[in-house]
Amino acid sequence: MNDTNRWFRGAAGASLLLLLALPAVAADAPPPARPEQLRFPELRYAPPRAADCRVLLKGGIPAYLVPDHSTPLVTIHVLMRVGPDLAPAGKEGLPAMAMNLLTRGGTKTRTAQQVEDRASALGAQLESDLGSGGGGMFGLGGVPIGPACSRATLNLLAKDVDEGLALLVECLKGPAFEDERVKLRREQELQQMKQRNDESAAIEEREWGFLMRGGSHWTNRWTTRSSIEGITREDLVAFARRYVGPKNFVLAVSGEFDRATIARKLEAAFANWPVPGVNPGPPAAPAEPSAAGWYLVDKDVNQGRVSIGLRALDRFDPDYQAARVMNDILGGGGFSSRLTNRIRSDEGLAYSVRSVFEGGLYYPDPWRIQFQSKVRSVAFAIQIALAEVRRMRDSLVSAQELEVAKSKFIEGFPAQFETANAVAGGLAVEELTGRYQKDPDYYNEYRDRVRAVSAADIQRVARRLLDPARLAVLMVGNAKDILTGDPKRDAQITTLAGGDPKHMPLRDPMTMKPMP
Amino acid sequence: MTTPRARAVLLPAACAFALAFAAAPAAPARRDAPPARGASPAPAIEEHLLANGMKLVLVPRHLSPTVAGAWVARVGSANERPGITGISHLFEHMMFKGTHVIGTRDYEKDVRLIEQQEALQDSIRAELSALRAAQRRGELDDMTKPESKTPRMRELEKRFDGLVAEQRANMVKNEFNTVLQRNGATGINAFTNNDMTVYFETVPANRLELWFWMEADRLRNRVFREFYSERDVVYEERRLRTESTPTGKFAESFDAVFWDASPYAWPVVGWPSDVASITRAQADEYYALYYQPQNLTAVLVGDFDPKAALALAERYLGAIPPGARPAPEMITMESRSLAEKRFHGEAETNPAATVRWHTVAFTHRDAPVLEIVDGLLTGPAGRLRRSLVLKQGVATSARAAHEPLKYEGSFEITAEAKEGRTPEEVEQAIYGEVERLKSEPVGADELQAAKNRYLTAAYRQLNSNFLIGLRYAVSEGRGDLHGAERIEAAVQGVTSEDVQRVAQAYFTKEGRAVAIWTRKGGGAEDPELAALPPPARERARAGLARIRAASDPEKLQQMLDMFDQMGAQMPPEAKPAIEYLRGKAQARLRELSTPKP
Repeated sequence: MNDTNRWFRGAAGASLLLLLALPAVAADAPPPARPEQLRFPELRYAPPRAADCRVLLKGGIPAYLVPDHSTPLVTIHVLMRVGPDLAPAGKEGLPAMAMNLLTRGGTKTRTAQQVEDRASALGAQLESDLGSGGGGMFGLGGVPIGPACSRATLNLLAKDVDEGLALLVECLKGPAFEDERVKLRREQELQQMKQRNDESAAIEEREWGFLMRGGSHWTNRWTTRSSIEGITREDLVAFARRYVGPKNFVLAVSGEFDRATIARKLEAAFANWPVPGVNPGPPAAPAEPSAAGWYLVDKDVNQGRVSIGLRALDRFDPDYQAARVMNDILGGGGFSSRLTNRIRSDEGLAYSVRSVFEGGLYYPDPWRIQFQSKVRSVAFAIQIALAEVRRMRDSLVSAQELEVAKSKFIEGFPAQFETANAVAGGLAVEELTGRYQKDPDYYNEYRDRVRAVSAADIQRVARRLLDPARLAVLMVGNAKDILTGDPKRDAQITTLAGGDPKHMPLRDPMTMKPMP
Repeated sequence: MTTPRARAVLLPAACAFALAFAAAPAAPARRDAPPARGASPAPAIEEHLLANGMKLVLVPRHLSPTVAGAWVARVGSANERPGITGISHLFEHMMFKGTHVIGTRDYEKDVRLIEQQEALQDSIRAELSALRAAQRRGELDDMTKPESKTPRMRELEKRFDGLVAEQRANMVKNEFNTVLQRNGATGINAFTNNDMTVYFETVPANRLELWFWMEADRLRNRVFREFYSERDVVYEERRLRTESTPTGKFAESFDAVFWDASPYAWPVVGWPSDVASITRAQADEYYALYYQPQNLTAVLVGDFDPKAALALAERYLGAIPPGARPAPEMITMESRSLAEKRFHGEAETNPAATVRWHTVAFTHRDAPVLEIVDGLLTGPAGRLRRSLVLKQGVATSARAAHEPLKYEGSFEITAEAKEGRTPEEVEQAIYGEVERLKSEPVGADELQAAKNRYLTAAYRQLNSNFLIGLRYAVSEGRGDLHGAERIEAAVQGVTSEDVQRVAQAYFTKEGRAVAIWTRKGGGAEDPELAALPPPARERARAGLARIRAASDPEKLQQMLDMFDQMGAQMPPEAKPAIEYLRGKAQARLRELSTPKP
């Protein structure tokens, strides 16, 4: 193992190049009149490569090791393919509860309180959860594992890494699931469930999931009071024994260390695992097509939340990059996108308006336009959004739009790997979710693939994916006001929808059955 | 309690008002005492004062070929006054609207159109003034409804829309963002809070000069295009974050209850009436006062050569003409609270209690001690969780937060009531822990652990260019560029006596405001109901909802008869639920039979 990391070496190289290339600035020369007249030195940037960071520990656990000497901290993420899809029928919530309690329910030799006290004394963060990891505010510090995976994370001072690592491994090897902690977790889950109809955003998210993936899909198997109350300590122990083991681990490790030393430590810590663990493979795709049509949930708030979309494609589809660029021009690119320009800047109808297309990690996930507008202007804003969808199909994007969208992806690429945690976590997730195996050159070829997208590709993809007849439109807000609309505008929901939208009842928060 | 979920701000330059950086290290000990060397994890920084009085902070960091650039205007909602609340935040939006050269095809034409729009807006304002008077007289229930508009108003709006269309044809839409995005800039955004407005983006390291060009250009040559449609956007932001969330409006109201004299009493996004009425002339005046170079500090973190960056800064930012007079000082100080304040929020939220005390400003010598108090109470091993959640079982979650702002500070504890327990019980349990802080010295191990956690949390804030930039921008905005490292140094010297002294000084009855949260239409769940076995509880809950909804005594009597019959037939384990419902139905019947005064 070589201690110098190619990625950071590359970065330092780029920096030096810049230093030499920066033109001497004459303080008295007037700045150019337009930013386009500025000349920039070339930035040579090589993205991180898995081969330079990846180590296969004895025992077969892949580990991505990225040193960073800027602060004396070490972060260790143990990533697992553990998702809600693994819950037995009637035990919905078991995977999330098991993952949460891995580090919060004690071990074979220490009580939960002793584990917490020790972590606290070290100033360490020791935590575990299912499906989190989008990255916190501004996308920093997390690991984008998606909804079907879990992680256990340790972050502490490098000087304490031996003790911390031992503590983390002890939690994962023999979680005790103390009764008191199981009881508390149950109570917390039930408290959270009671809030399911409080926020219009939560209602929208939930109903959108039902429309897009159907009630039978694992993403829509919601916890209920009875499923949560039915989870026993024995269930938790059995679940952890099955899935928490080396065969289901990918490690992402970053911070103050040298690679050889940390690899040795990890190898020792993760040796002699009591059970091999099972990697359950990719989660099941939805069995039914996404719903089409118009849907309305009545919730007495003065701003309507709107989602428009359909299931599109996964990230292995040959049209994936063209679809990303298309989406960026339509609504994914913030202030350079058409939906933002029309709905927000021109009309002042929404604060947040965007379209999201991430490509499914495992199977086609929804493409979705999302915005929020005062209830009376919901119809007018939807009318504009649908017109923009049609325009994307009917005409070619301009050369300038294409150029802006592509250079955004190409020039902004280095920012994706700004921190060591982003490199280690990003690469580890590639392996965890399967793109490393299927498309190992993804990051290396990323910019060329984006460069290759043409205006004709974009129109072809828009025609292939954005079929107006297949779209679902979901609105959540004060139904009466949404249907009344704004007298100043010539837009009505009933006209747009060709009739009344389907009124969807709220669900009982504790049973998730539709309420009468 | 509903806690706002962290949402990724995917819309660039969208601006989040009142962004809370909960873990941001804060507060210096004494202004005259330099931070002890080695006691703070702060990186090496360079500070410069440009020729025009603008400050520049440089933090070279060569880990990735990117530079995070930010600048802070030392102005926030605390600098506003009634009538223009929300103007600082509106400003933040307007700063993305372009300049003499960015965002327009013909600047001269732009100026003409803006003047014509202003003249029309004067007439619209006269109409609005009449509507306001009509609403005050009770002739209108809501002047903001589309139906409330007068025919003249509609006519004026139509003419105004025509001018907007003409202006739009002359504009290059959102060019500020587009130029940056095309050059690989990411995270283009800004936020406003009570004390400051911060603008930021990350650029590829070879595009540093572009950052200077764009920022200097908008500071010097900004044009407030689309001013009035952007006001609508801000109102949508208010609806999104405040008006259509379960506790948004309540939280705003609680702030207004908590502060007496301080301008922290009003929301950063502004009162609805004010946001809708701010004029461009007011905005221009505000800009001249608070966006002059002497009131700004730029922070660059990342892969650059400090010498080259300083030269660029002098050339671009240093060339902005200084303001004629310094920005006015915010004078108003919160007066000493005389009495406990109580607030009862019935909202779509779980029952909970919030207690908030007046404390100290960011630069106050006691701020580091309050950070430690926060640390002792919060977290997996913190006292709140150990006592309220695990030992007493009165709450399911609890947290504390110390918020030292530029002029004043507060300390808040919130805990959510466990099923079957009341918010009032939670409140008492909170006081129990506060009394412990006052009366018992903190053990050496517990105190050291809190210090260790503070240190690692501080290091975590130094994880990326952006976070480092934010740390200095926020410290500067709160009144001391070195505030974060001063407090990091001071925290390590906090003693057990300090903790007791500070708890006694600030956690007083008269110094607090208390919010009791109950579920709208529900209230805390009855302990009797909570004690029933799960399947029976579910049925009892459904029955209870029917009983509560019943308004006809006859129907209730029928229910009671039915319960009597069922009670005789049911197996013994179902009886408690039936008995429970019987009691509730009888109580409801009594309630309905009592004549209303």
